[in-house]
Amino acid sequence: MIEYHAEVIIIGGGATGVGLLRDLSMRGVNALLLEQGDLAHGTSSRFHGLLHSGARYAVKDSLSAAECSQENSILKRIAPSCIVNCGGWFVQMAEDDPAYTEKWVQKCAEASISVREISLQEAYTQEPLLRQDALRVFEVPDAAVDGFKLVWANAHSATVYGGVYKSYHQVDNLVREGNRITGVSGRLLKTGEPFTATSPMLVNAAGAWAPKLASSVGVTLDVVADKGTLLAFNHRLFQRVINRLRPPGDGDIFVPHESITVFGTTSGLVDSPSDNAPAVADVQRLMNLGEGLLPEIERFRVIRAFAGVRPLYQETQSDTVLAEKGREVSRGFALLDHEEQGIEGFVSIVGGKFTTYRLMAERTADLVTRKLGKLVPCRTAEETILPVLSSALKELAEKVLPCGAVSKMLERVGADAENILRKIESDPAKGQMLCECEMVSLAEVERAVSDEDVHFLSDIRRKTRLGMGTCQGAFCGYRALPLLRREKDKYAPFRDELQGFLDQRWKGIRPVLWGAQLRETELTRGIYGGLLHFGERANCPTDRGK
Amino acid sequence: MNGKSEGAVYRAEKLDACIKCSACTAECPVARINPLFPGPKAAGPDAERLRLEGIYFDAKALALCSNCKTCEITCPSSVNITELIMEARRKAILSGANKKSKRYRLRALVLGRAEYLGILGTVLAPVTNFVLRKKAVRVLMEKAIGIGRNAPLPDYHRRFALNTHTDAKTKQVVYFPGCYSAYNDAVTARAVVKVLEHNGFSVLTPSFHCCGVPLQSNDQFSQAEANALYNLRLLVPYLEQGIPVVASCPSCTLSLKQEYPHYGGPGAELIAARTYDLFEFLWHLYENGELRLGFRPSSQIVAYHAPCHLKAQSIGTPVVRLLRLIPGLQVKDLDSGCCGLSGSYGFKEENYALGMEIGKPLFGKIKSGLEKADFSEVITECGTCNIQIAHGSRAKVQHPVWYFMKAYGLA
Repeated sequence: MIEYHAEVIIIGGGATGVGLLRDLSMRGVNALLLEQGDLAHGTSSRFHGLLHSGARYAVKDSLSAAECSQENSILKRIAPSCIVNCGGWFVQMAEDDPAYTEKWVQKCAEASISVREISLQEAYTQEPLLRQDALRVFEVPDAAVDGFKLVWANAHSATVYGGVYKSYHQVDNLVREGNRITGVSGRLLKTGEPFTATSPMLVNAAGAWAPKLASSVGVTLDVVADKGTLLAFNHRLFQRVINRLRPPGDGDIFVPHESITVFGTTSGLVDSPSDNAPAVADVQRLMNLGEGLLPEIERFRVIRAFAGVRPLYQETQSDTVLAEKGREVSRGFALLDHEEQGIEGFVSIVGGKFTTYRLMAERTADLVTRKLGKLVPCRTAEETILPVLSSALKELAEKVLPCGAVSKMLERVGADAENILRKIESDPAKGQMLCECEMVSLAEVERAVSDEDVHFLSDIRRKTRLGMGTCQGAFCGYRALPLLRREKDKYAPFRDELQGFLDQRWKGIRPVLWGAQLRETELTRGIYGGLLHFGERANCPTDRGK
Repeated sequence: MNGKSEGAVYRAEKLDACIKCSACTAECPVARINPLFPGPKAAGPDAERLRLEGIYFDAKALALCSNCKTCEITCPSSVNITELIMEARRKAILSGANKKSKRYRLRALVLGRAEYLGILGTVLAPVTNFVLRKKAVRVLMEKAIGIGRNAPLPDYHRRFALNTHTDAKTKQVVYFPGCYSAYNDAVTARAVVKVLEHNGFSVLTPSFHCCGVPLQSNDQFSQAEANALYNLRLLVPYLEQGIPVVASCPSCTLSLKQEYPHYGGPGAELIAARTYDLFEFLWHLYENGELRLGFRPSSQIVAYHAPCHLKAQSIGTPVVRLLRLIPGLQVKDLDSGCCGLSGSYGFKEENYALGMEIGKPLFGKIKSGLEKADFSEVITECGTCNIQIAHGSRAKVQHPVWYFMKAYGLA
């Protein structure tokens, strides 16, 4: 039995939980985070990657808009390497209500969101693929944010301050003594080994999984699971975030994200937070809706679809009302002290969105520290998350890597860059691109393979972007396998690792099987089914079509 | 959709078509020899996704592409690989981030302006040739502007005479001779005219500028565009009358067919459909029963090298089919890839050895073929392939049109 003890236990390794771990650690609180899977494997990486300016919520939810606006500028300051400050446009089309535009402009001003009107001519020059009968175009400070990167950057920063996170630790039970929660028990997902953890304070930051956790001690949380499906296009179609200027709805946001474009989303309540398989019907709906901003959408290649489950919180409404209007539920967050329900030492942070994760963490840490009697002010709005890389390191990277790979690699690996670069310097063959689509070097994958936070081939994908580009793992998947063998018993047998990896890729590809992606998949099937004798199970439409 | 968004959709679709099979890189003659070149897939469609993100490749790595277009012939998905690489090079040059040394800038002017060199060279051709054959001069040229001292520079001869007067009653054809034929090999250009005239055409040659391919290869992209627009303006009246355009240099033909339509302007929509490789044109005549036959028999066996830029036109090798109409003449297709010169690529000091290495299989096949008397002569349409093969294999190389001159009894 593994035993842990901490002043505060945080459950949930998404943006909020990891942000809280960093916040508490910086305030000198001894905190432990437990995550059932890999960090950021859930909603925090399954969204459009939009760092809201707040403009989207300006009319409907002025509080959320103001929060987003404030957090937008804070995050751009403290996490510049996780954010691409590409800006965003709101585009009013002929069929959109001009009265809404007027109201929106006014509400944005009230929330201190800077809005600048762009001439249509300039708009079409800068974004030639945009539908060319727009009426008005406005620029706002939207940006693109990398969920994986930001969560991991927070985790690494927290570690520097003494914070501890444990991934693949599934919490099964909360331990209750009288009216107080004293800890949790669970098991390690890879080995089945049981563990217990004790602490005077427990924070439920499990996102869409939060209600299940709370209900185990009889606490009901008004959080609904709302599935949002998104499409990933093969390359950047737009240079900035493109929003439709009308009341927020489905399929009205395009976000250029690294080398791809993400388009979404849909909204539909689901029973389980694990239900994140993209459905064919949702994909079709998005393709139809997308024409409103990108008229030639059918002609561009979709490399995969993915879905995330948003934990939406609304205190006052019953479930039946919610079911009717998932999109209408507030995108705000709530910090719930369960002492009000007679349970001590237990706090839940629910709802919210990625853009406001830091604020949610700050509010939660304020409450927790007050309860622990440690009155230390929050510093997360001021202190940069990642150390700034030295120019000597950048020069070394430019020397040993092709220039396409340099900046991306440095952003991904941060402080580990030096080790990787030295390895390539002494053995240039390690500078080869193992993943050619996303330009990930052999040395970088090797480092990920031996990383103690990495347990599956899919974890390597999240850490490096291996398999996330055009080929969707067709080539880099098998190339990475021999590296796994170096770590003796850490990974499952090749066959199982590869199967798990391919299954996950296949989950996103299956709903978008047309055009060039269908050709790609046939090639993938040829490689795994034909060359590698992966038999009928290899990424094969015929046996998974059900 | 307006023109700009149509262009953007076209580029996006081409980029999306790549399925990462790597066939292009496997076949690339440069990647096979030089590990510093990331290969057409990496430098083209892979890097393009990053370029759209604002991340640029070093122009030096892109300059290793010889623009031979083997990648595009190989690609099963019709990706415009070299177009992506050339455009990236253009942007890298424009951004000013990749400044060339003075030496190389001067060299780019020399090699890019084959046309002006040609005019200068042809004025005093014997003197030019004498000077260029001096070893000391070549060493100086390498030191001064980086043109490889051993690279096979062409000779200059009397310039090809232009003709714009025609008899409108006969069939007409516009002949685009290209710089090599105009300045370095005018006798061949005149032979082309004779063969066309023998078939009842009156041949028009207005005062064209260089097609633009050498300019592109030497990073003078705006000049290449200016030349294209100039040539298009000259061609418009003929194109509008439906008069076909024939070129005897595969690189000129390829650029008229594939590059000119992208420049827009008058004539851009017509040029691709009305431009023919010389032998493609003659083959069409043959298929329509309009080619003059009555060839004199021959007992020769010739080896044929298909230039890369001919292959890139997707018309097969019409000259081989035509030569087989000459009784007794045997044609052997060498089928040994790129000669390694690729326009002016192999002239550059840093590429000379690479170019020779690329051409090695071809040279080897020619040398052993000549030794074993499998064939007695080598033919190819491309002027620079011609001098590279002669340099690499010591064989006598001719433009195939001379076989028709002989067969027609014109030479």
